[in-house]
Amino acid sequence: MNQVGAVGLIAALVFAVYGMITGAAAGKLRSPRMLKSAQRAVLGFFAMTTLAVVSLEYLVLTNNFHSAYVAEYSSRALPVLYKIPVLWAGQQGSLLFWTWLLSIYVAAAVLLNRKKNRQLMPYIIAISMGVGTFFSMVTFSVANPFNELNLASASGVTPYAPPDGNGLNPALQFHSMVAHPPMLYLGYVGMAIPFAFAMSALMTRQLGDNWIRVTRRWVMVPWMFLGIGIVLGGQWAYHVLGWGGYWAWDPVENASLLPWLAGTAFLHSVMIQEKRGMLKVWNMVLVILTFFLSIFGTFLTRSGIISSVHAFAKSDIGPWFSVFLAIIAAFSLTVLFLRLDFLKSENRLDSIASRESGFLFNNWILLAAVLAVLWGTIFPVISKAIENVTVTVGPPFFNKVMIPIGLLLLFLTGAGPMLAWRKTSFQSIKRNFTFPLIFAAVVGGVIFYAGVHRLYTWMSLFLCAFVAASIVAEFYKGARTRMKSSKENFFAALYNLTMRNTRRYGGYVVHFGIVLLFVGFAGQAFRYETQGLMGPGDLLRAKNYLFRCEGISTGQKANYQYETVDLSVTKDGHALTVMHPERRFYMAEQQPISHIALRSNLAQDLYVVTEGTDPNSGKAIIHVIINPLVQWVWIGGMVILLGTILALIPSSIERQMGKLHKDQEEAVAAHHVG
Amino acid sequence: MRRTMSASRLLKIVVLGLALASAAMAAQTPAQIGKDIGNKVICLCGCQTSLNDCPMPHCDEKAAERHLISMDLAEGKAEPVILQDLVNKYGERVLAAPPAHGFNLTAWFLPGVGLLIGLFLAITIVRRWHRPAVQAAATPAVPLDGNLRSAVENEMKKYID
Repeated sequence: MNQVGAVGLIAALVFAVYGMITGAAAGKLRSPRMLKSAQRAVLGFFAMTTLAVVSLEYLVLTNNFHSAYVAEYSSRALPVLYKIPVLWAGQQGSLLFWTWLLSIYVAAAVLLNRKKNRQLMPYIIAISMGVGTFFSMVTFSVANPFNELNLASASGVTPYAPPDGNGLNPALQFHSMVAHPPMLYLGYVGMAIPFAFAMSALMTRQLGDNWIRVTRRWVMVPWMFLGIGIVLGGQWAYHVLGWGGYWAWDPVENASLLPWLAGTAFLHSVMIQEKRGMLKVWNMVLVILTFFLSIFGTFLTRSGIISSVHAFAKSDIGPWFSVFLAIIAAFSLTVLFLRLDFLKSENRLDSIASRESGFLFNNWILLAAVLAVLWGTIFPVISKAIENVTVTVGPPFFNKVMIPIGLLLLFLTGAGPMLAWRKTSFQSIKRNFTFPLIFAAVVGGVIFYAGVHRLYTWMSLFLCAFVAASIVAEFYKGARTRMKSSKENFFAALYNLTMRNTRRYGGYVVHFGIVLLFVGFAGQAFRYETQGLMGPGDLLRAKNYLFRCEGISTGQKANYQYETVDLSVTKDGHALTVMHPERRFYMAEQQPISHIALRSNLAQDLYVVTEGTDPNSGKAIIHVIINPLVQWVWIGGMVILLGTILALIPSSIERQMGKLHKDQEEAVAAHHVG
Repeated sequence: MRRTMSASRLLKIVVLGLALASAAMAAQTPAQIGKDIGNKVICLCGCQTSLNDCPMPHCDEKAAERHLISMDLAEGKAEPVILQDLVNKYGERVLAAPPAHGFNLTAWFLPGVGLLIGLFLAITIVRRWHRPAVQAAATPAVPLDGNLRSAVENEMKKYID
């Protein structure tokens, strides 16, 4: 199967190169035959990367330790559920996985555009196959997952297979880890398609509103996956790393946040281009930046130039990515520069108090956030290069810089949608802002009275109330207007209102999810923790909770040994629950890991972790954290996902417009080809 | 006069509050100081988390750093001195954020400078793009006939949301 996989990789590389060349030629020569050939190359690329992925999974599932990759990242005792993630556990496999996801995206783009966007498609294929060529080349040459283990002796080289593999990093043997990397990769890789659309639109001078309309969806899908990946990564950190937090401003986390922030900026500014024909160059820059940051994040974290808790994902691919990034920047900026004349703004601002200005300031804050995160992430490298001093840029830096930026962004999340397109009158501002401000003032007073005196925490909750009230008011006003004009009841009006403009109201739902995220973030200010050594009968108090150690049990499962501490918990003297934090020792990997015990409700999490046994006393080291409002972070993530899905559903107006565009496209294509 | 009195009373309250807050800060227990320091330095075992958050069991680096902090606290040293002792032993990398001096200042100032430059650009763009409101036409608007008016209203209803 090693050979089959390797053949699949070579064939994928050949298809990618062929697709890139024929795509470009089809665009240049306007040849439908060459376009067909390029489209077939895309499907061939997909088939061959699929073959390589299936081959590698087969090698993993059959414990073929003759494969160097399987021997390194799998073991016989590894449960089947965790054998699937072996595909992306190591550098080589994750790059193959990346290539495969790209092939799926490109194949989907080709199949969904068989009868649409005909003028754009040749270059879309050429560009995306160019990206495919890069990833296939790296996977084939420096990160090949199909290398075999051999023993060199005097009589020659003989195949070798160890009796068992090293196993999967225990930190990766967790349910959200099965989904977290694929979601992130789907986010990163997917940004190649909008980039290809943008480049193709520039190259073919098809810079009307069609490409931007189509591209918006191709940005939203990977943006959604990136968001899911980030939240799942937070869940993984929360459940596995055992420090009671979900975000540590680790370089890998930051790398995923960067394209998400840039993509968010694009999803907002694209509306100005669609509605007013403005910010055309800026939108191009944002599409390029989002894709660039996707690749840059990979370079940053996988080249090994920055240390991270994700140290399991490093290798020597840095120079390849450096060259690729330089090519992306040079190519895209050159094409953009050559087409500047076609990207002139069609309108001007009618008023400073307008939705357009709101979006502009939203973009300003988002780009400032990108700059701050990027700068903090790469600063250790810059400091080392210039000053030869190793510094750490950790949470204290990011919290100081990013909290004010986040609060400004939260304010705009509420204020922006309340401004009208073109011009907002003072009366309108007064009318729209009064209720949210009064509601926020009431909430602000109540929480201050309740003891929230930290400035940032108070401001965060105040702004959450302001934004939530503004969203509720938008839905309410819209439904009331519809009730009057269509004689529907409130709920029917609310539903029809939402479905009539899914994009707008889906966006509001996303904003509401952001509010919930900030509520969860604000809870961190009230985090409480304590630690103690516990043997049978020992007590540990954490605020109004009392923990009693009922016993410590040890045992062994297929791939790990465990030590479980049984803790009965009382709250204000009343029996509450029994918790079982566990310490595991994975035998094949020779690594210990904590398995937390968690009791959650909407108000707070009771988070208990055993950090092993104290060598002096023989007692368990128990760490208790009371984490308020954490569940709102996960709920916020889910609401954002729902809002994004809602915004992706075409509304009735969009369907009509889409049909119109399709008819126009077909007429143009018939004329073009004929 | 009454307003001036209230303002001066408010000022007194603020000053008193600040004095009490500083006294409270000064009265921190060694355990609290140790915890604060644990948030300001990282564990050097490679976990990349703060000393307080290092999840590694029996971590030698964590133990060594904690030992140094405990020794210093026992000697009654203040937080800045303990942090300096940690830097002397491990280098600046032990600090969870770069100290604000020398080249490190750029780490702190650049995001703010970027924010200000962005704000300046956004304001410049808004001002450049701002089109003064067009004066109302001198000629009176032509009234719409009934059919045209109802057609326009029907059309507008479609887009009310």
